[in-house]
Amino acid sequence: MDHHRDSDSSTDDDNASQTTEDDPEIPDQPLPPPPVPAPPPPQLSTSGPPRPRPRYELLHTLRGHKGPISSVKFSPDGKLLASCADETLIKIWSPATGELIRNMNGHVKGCSDVAWSPDSVYLASASDDSTVRVWEVDSGLTTKTLKGHTSYVFSVNYNSAGTQIVSGGCEGDIKIWNAARGKCIRTLNAHLDYVTAVHFNRDGTLLVSCSLDGLIRIWNTSNGQCLKTLTEGNEAICQNVQFSPNSKYILSTAHDSAIRLWDYNTSRCLKTYVGHVNKLFCIGACFSVTGGKWIVSGSEDNKVYIWDLQSREVVQTLEGHGGVVVAVTTHPQQNMIASGSIGSDLSIRIWADRAS
Amino acid sequence: MNASLLNPFNITYPTAVQTSLPSQASLARWDPSGRYVAAGRNDGITLIWDLETRSSVRWLEGHVKGITNIDWSRHSRYILTSSKDWNVIIWDLTSEYDPPQRLATIRFDASVTSAWFHPKNSQIMVALLTAGDAYVVDRRKKYRGRIELLEPLEDEEESNRSAMTAVRFDPSGKHIFVGTSSGTILVFNSRTKTMVAKHRIAGSGVIKVLVFAKSGRRLVTNSSDRTLRMFVVPSYPTPTPDQPYVEYDLEPTHRFSDPINRNAWHAMSFSPDGEWLAGGAVDAATHKIYIWDISNDGQFASTLDGGREPLIHVHWHPTKPSIVSTTNQGNLLIWHCPTPERWGAFAGGFEEVDENVEYQEREDEFDIEDESEIALRKMKQEEEEVDIETGVDMAGVAKVRTNGDADVDTAWAEDEDDDDLAGWKMKLVLEDDDEM
Repeated sequence: MDHHRDSDSSTDDDNASQTTEDDPEIPDQPLPPPPVPAPPPPQLSTSGPPRPRPRYELLHTLRGHKGPISSVKFSPDGKLLASCADETLIKIWSPATGELIRNMNGHVKGCSDVAWSPDSVYLASASDDSTVRVWEVDSGLTTKTLKGHTSYVFSVNYNSAGTQIVSGGCEGDIKIWNAARGKCIRTLNAHLDYVTAVHFNRDGTLLVSCSLDGLIRIWNTSNGQCLKTLTEGNEAICQNVQFSPNSKYILSTAHDSAIRLWDYNTSRCLKTYVGHVNKLFCIGACFSVTGGKWIVSGSEDNKVYIWDLQSREVVQTLEGHGGVVVAVTTHPQQNMIASGSIGSDLSIRIWADRAS
Repeated sequence: MNASLLNPFNITYPTAVQTSLPSQASLARWDPSGRYVAAGRNDGITLIWDLETRSSVRWLEGHVKGITNIDWSRHSRYILTSSKDWNVIIWDLTSEYDPPQRLATIRFDASVTSAWFHPKNSQIMVALLTAGDAYVVDRRKKYRGRIELLEPLEDEEESNRSAMTAVRFDPSGKHIFVGTSSGTILVFNSRTKTMVAKHRIAGSGVIKVLVFAKSGRRLVTNSSDRTLRMFVVPSYPTPTPDQPYVEYDLEPTHRFSDPINRNAWHAMSFSPDGEWLAGGAVDAATHKIYIWDISNDGQFASTLDGGREPLIHVHWHPTKPSIVSTTNQGNLLIWHCPTPERWGAFAGGFEEVDENVEYQEREDEFDIEDESEIALRKMKQEEEEVDIETGVDMAGVAKVRTNGDADVDTAWAEDEDDDDLAGWKMKLVLEDDDEM
């Protein structure tokens, strides 16, 4: 849906009118976004040795998508990169060589998100045609079509066992699917607005979701019970949310140009990462744990930002994209980042840190 | 890891049926992770249910007569099924196909009553036959063999050797406990296969089932006198040539029975912490599970009523307050603790209270603070290091007591590992759609 936000940001057509009146993408918003509490000034800690910095360099530029790129994901085995855009094709790339390996055709509208099964065999894609398709990547064929959402499907994810798929739709529902049968197990009437992200924790017992209604909710997967709701104090609309690798924390991005790390047990915000620009689009962030511990995110100033997880300072920005970077992903084993952009650029860039 | 969120109240035993899984089963057993349930059927098929998706994921076809027992290896990779068709089959669930490959078939010369994996190595197992004899089967290269467990007897006693009627490894795997038709418990060393102890249980009659609590500290017997007896498992001395085994009566710490209906018991199972005991009653018309509170001196706590289909088997979830019970119609009932909907969870920053409380305002609650001070404090707080990768304790790793000096026995059991590694995943088998 990032592409919609892109193309609709100036023309107020019926897609945009689905959102509430306080939709942050309306450009002539009367109130300026409230100030971020405590933007930590990126200052180096005076004590201790200087922290190592990442040195990412452009490795490949992948061109081929004809629409704004909405999501890029490395496969869990690290061998492939899947990307989707506001077009019906899903593309599979080799991150090592930058070559296009396969186009997967089947959706009738653009796609907003893709997710790999943990064994890297299947790919699930969430589309504006209100279906989720499960692809066998080796053959490029659809193995299952998950039908049930009544509006655009915006986000999709697998659980760590690969047995369940969760999807979030623009009608505000979250659906949990049996991956083997392609049938819906449970529907959660989760939010009042677009569900922009939904993610399983490590053992699959919890789900975290966020929506344009401004709420982050934690759910019990097995009975669908809402366990907790987190709201950002200053009405910042959350755009993307995910669990940390150990599932102790959640990382959220919001339209006040801040990324926050939360302890969801205590509802306390532990870290705030600022410096980038995020006021209009659904921009994701992700953890990088293969080398140094970083937080990586795209930005509306066409750059990719890398923060130090602990010190919260911006340690590197990657320039090169000619449009807003909405999708970023980190390689599961190597120091590699893939980013995708919208606007006139329409490229995916792969960045690698060879030094460490 | 999510205990505080998932289980806000300290509920300790299940109270209601969550779901019913039609399986035509005669028994059902949770795997050690609590994700799967294996259901053994009278036609020789074993079904594996995935409780996360509530669908059957594997169909183990190999026996030609009814399944008598199922056991899981410690990381759920292997399944041991014993059957009335005289066979024991070991299945490997890493196999990519459904039905999965069988790893081994072990044939005996009588119907097999039950078979169990060694808790530390699934290449060692013990099997009990209807004829009343028990065998330890070792599939490891170095120790390959089949050894009968024999009580050392004088020649004149040889003719009235009592039949073995129940067998079980203790949770440490060091000893094999055997119940007999004459109401005795024989304890064998798993490694040497020699008897180290013999206990008479006064008044018990035939011992039908033996069940250990996860810690290995408690043992419950089900015997023909319709009483469940709980014992504290004693420690056994290292046998010496003068005294190859110890012999004394074992006095139960608790007896559980239904004094009114005089029910017999089909099966029993401990809760994961060993604080509760569930007993499945023999009853022609109802499905009843009795719950006793062990920590409260074995007091009767509750009866779970599962409807009209009589119960034939019961097994407690390895980590949660959940039970699977099997009806005589072959349905599996999954019991759980129904949690009331917490509407307060839908609003950020709200807390639900049971009754009205007068709110006590904190001293500084409405003080107007300098914004820069708040910002500064927040910044200070954010300096704290966070750990995003590790530090999550995996639930359900209970400490198992090793009975006596375990070194040599543990080393023996862990020799030649069975490749049953933690963290393996069952391959997803996509089911064909009708419409495709």
